[in-house]
Amino acid sequence: MAKTDLQGTLDLLVLKTLAQNGTLHGYGIVQHIQSASGELLRVEEGSLYPALHRMEQAGWIAAEWALTETNRRAKYYKMTAQGRRQLQQAEESFDQLVKGVRAVLRYA
Amino acid sequence: MAIFKRIGNLMHRARVDREIDAELETHIELRIEENVARGMSRDEARRDALLKFGNPAATRERVVAADAALGIESFWADVRYAWRQIIKSPGFSITVVITLALGIGVNTAGFSSMDAVVLHPLAVPQMDRVVTIAELPARGGYANVTLANYEDWQRQSRSFEEMSVHTSADMSLTGAGDAAHVQAALTSASFFSVLRTQAILGRVFVEDECQPGRDAVAVLNYGFWQRRFASDPAVVNRKIELDQREYTVIGVLPKAMQYPSEADVYLPFAPTPQQLANRTAHDYLVIARLRDGMTVQQAQIELRAIAVRLATAYPATNLGWSVKVEPLLDGINGDLTPLYYRLIMGATLFVLLVVCANVANLQFARGIARRPEIAMRTALGASRSRLMRQLLTENILLGLIGGVGGLIIGGVYLHVILISMPARVARYMSGWSNTSLNGRVLAFSLLLAIAAGVVSGIAPAIEALRLNLVEQLKAGSRATTGSGRSRWLRSVFAVAQISLAVALVIGAALMSKGMWGLLHVADTYEPSKTLTFSVTLPVARYDTPQKRAAWYAASLEKLRTLPGVTHADISTALPYTDRGWNDDFEIESRPAVPGKDQRALRLQASDGFFAAMRIPFVAGRGFTKSDSLDSVPVAVVSPRFVAQYFPGQNPLGHRIRMRVGDKHFDPWVTIVGIAEETKFTLWDQTQYSAVYLDAAQIAPTNATYAVLTGGNALALAEPARKALAALDPALPLDTVETYEQLLHDSLTGLMYAAVMLGIDALIALLLAAIGIFGVMANLVGERTREIGVRLALGARREDVLGMILRRASRLTAIGLGSGLVLAFLLARLVANLLRGVRPDDPVVFIGITVTSAAIAIGSSWVPARRASRVDPMQALRSE
Repeated sequence: MAKTDLQGTLDLLVLKTLAQNGTLHGYGIVQHIQSASGELLRVEEGSLYPALHRMEQAGWIAAEWALTETNRRAKYYKMTAQGRRQLQQAEESFDQLVKGVRAVLRYA
Repeated sequence: MAIFKRIGNLMHRARVDREIDAELETHIELRIEENVARGMSRDEARRDALLKFGNPAATRERVVAADAALGIESFWADVRYAWRQIIKSPGFSITVVITLALGIGVNTAGFSSMDAVVLHPLAVPQMDRVVTIAELPARGGYANVTLANYEDWQRQSRSFEEMSVHTSADMSLTGAGDAAHVQAALTSASFFSVLRTQAILGRVFVEDECQPGRDAVAVLNYGFWQRRFASDPAVVNRKIELDQREYTVIGVLPKAMQYPSEADVYLPFAPTPQQLANRTAHDYLVIARLRDGMTVQQAQIELRAIAVRLATAYPATNLGWSVKVEPLLDGINGDLTPLYYRLIMGATLFVLLVVCANVANLQFARGIARRPEIAMRTALGASRSRLMRQLLTENILLGLIGGVGGLIIGGVYLHVILISMPARVARYMSGWSNTSLNGRVLAFSLLLAIAAGVVSGIAPAIEALRLNLVEQLKAGSRATTGSGRSRWLRSVFAVAQISLAVALVIGAALMSKGMWGLLHVADTYEPSKTLTFSVTLPVARYDTPQKRAAWYAASLEKLRTLPGVTHADISTALPYTDRGWNDDFEIESRPAVPGKDQRALRLQASDGFFAAMRIPFVAGRGFTKSDSLDSVPVAVVSPRFVAQYFPGQNPLGHRIRMRVGDKHFDPWVTIVGIAEETKFTLWDQTQYSAVYLDAAQIAPTNATYAVLTGGNALALAEPARKALAALDPALPLDTVETYEQLLHDSLTGLMYAAVMLGIDALIALLLAAIGIFGVMANLVGERTREIGVRLALGARREDVLGMILRRASRLTAIGLGSGLVLAFLLARLVANLLRGVRPDDPVVFIGITVTSAAIAIGSSWVPARRASRVDPMQALRSE
């Protein structure tokens, strides 16, 4: 049984985003998910930041302060080796979930 | 140091907060920048960014919560906040803390006593590895072990690290003050290593000293050392005289090593080779320590296999015998003591539940007053789970403060119980003297305190958070009333209190009633006017029946001449004392039927015993002065004996003989009389057939004296002692007390349980009364306006009074109803403990129900009366 919930999905989206883009700040992650999903997904800030801090505590991502192009101080996140393993697992279990849900939907 | 750490935490917290703020602010700024880039005006861009972001304070709190490092910090913040809330309403807090302290206190006391007596009676490391080994005879029951079997087990078994053997001996201590009767435990040296115990003074004896001739050393039990030698540390190397033989004291055992519980002194057991080869004398107790990894069950299987081998090798002595291995703790505790304690702990947990219900009710009331605060915090972005945590922290903190109070109450309570236990009874309770508030008790109380905090807080907390934010904020700080649901919940808790209290009170009443019956069971014998003591005649000096009979004749004659004495007699057992042995016997010219036991209670009594105890004769005669060692030995039997062994026949003139020990028989005795049925057992419910032998003809080595007086029996103690010392100064008198005290001593455990239960019941009833008072007072307070309207519209004051009382009666009735169901269950438990208790005793059930109803409605009377006195004008004007 694939273990996936909504929080798990947000973690997956964040990890995948960081895997594709290297380092990003929180706002960048929101923007990326929104545009990459063709405006279908919008991440709530109220959920994103607690998730980022939780993942940082878990050691999946690391953070450091740096300057943006517009010379503003922002906290940038990047994935750790542990995060990469977590991403792989999360992707697999998400695939399972999608397959499972699809199978149920197709069942006639 | 703690203060620096706290400042450090605060600085740390401030830094992390700043970082989170900066991060979130950056996020908003970045969106503004982008909005501006898309062509919005600066103000518009800002408004849009803030709107999309939502409540920054709430987001920040959630980010903080995700930060594990800050979990502790926020916990401390909660504790500090909770503390401020507790301080802010001292009346409420003190009430809650005292109530909780009471509930936790009785539990602390009950548990620490149970811990000392039942769970950890001996300070033996890994006590669960120590077992007792008994033999199982083919005829059923238990038997002690023979030395030859013990030797074989030791050689052949692999389950045990070590085995030890011990037996007991009655001895007279002389040469140190008054002659005293002491209980000696004769033990192998391995006894101490099986128990892994060391002496606190000096040393215990070693293998070398367990040989005939080298065994003149003694180790003292702590209590005996305290009583007899005033805890003198110079006792080591002192010489003492036991049964006219000199021993050197070599050590004193620790206080927590009262095993066997009656032992005063430990002497090396030095068996002779003949003793070691004996397979018929089942006289020895065996304890052993299991090897690591072995279970009691495995050890028993191994020993049973050995028993089977021994049965083939020695069929004459061992055929049909098996072995029983049992944890030592089970043997020490027996059946009743753990049951008492379970009952007491059950009752005290009931009390704690009542306490929790009471506190919950107080919290409900306070929850209503705190609504504006909760509403404000919710509006400011606190999540429900965050507030929940806060409220529970507050409750747990209250629980912990109550727990500290509970330890104080429990300590005082224990002290009172410890000093009120008679020393002569406490002596025989292994572990009783170790009762203390130790680490296990502290952990237990801590656990209870937290649990009580959570249990009493969870429902009010959930209820406090179920508020309609908009309504609440609109209402502002105006006084608000509770919702119907909250009122309903409070009623449920009040009902629960009543039902728990009623069940407990009925249980306690049943127990007290049964107790009362037991305390007065022997009243026909006027036990307060009878002096009793026992004497054990030293076998060495009283080695023939003639010498023993002469002693009894002389001593009784001497006692009978003392002023105020109406009767002086002896018996091996007095009625209701659970003493005396149930022995096999043979009937002359009637062959024994195999498989059918012929057994009867063997009593040896003096000629005046029947008159002294007012036991009438159904037929024949009693013992007379002319029955002596030179005349035909006679016996008196009980009607039950006749019904069992001579149904429809006249037993008079028939001859029987009783077996003493394994081979030896008393002489044949002729039945000359039938004495009315008399009960010699108190706890044991089996009714035994009785055979009375004349102590002048078959003189016992051990007997209890009963000296009947017209008045104060204890005043006779000194004259009696002096009179007997004149006959034999070296003969100690044991347990000189009234017959009543003798009977009550065996009821001490029960009295203790009954008193504990009674205290618990009173507390519960008091709390339940307070509980229903609180609910009704609150109801009246909330409905003052409504009552005012009713009165203004013409309702009579009696109507209002009736309305409130009807509501109280309904709650009481539901509480009583469910309480009675619970009481029936509890009553069964009490009836199991105490014979003579009817689990459906109508007097108790009806009496307690009526009393509880009266108390509950009585405590609603005050609020109901206040309601009927409401001034309609004032009530309507006040809002």
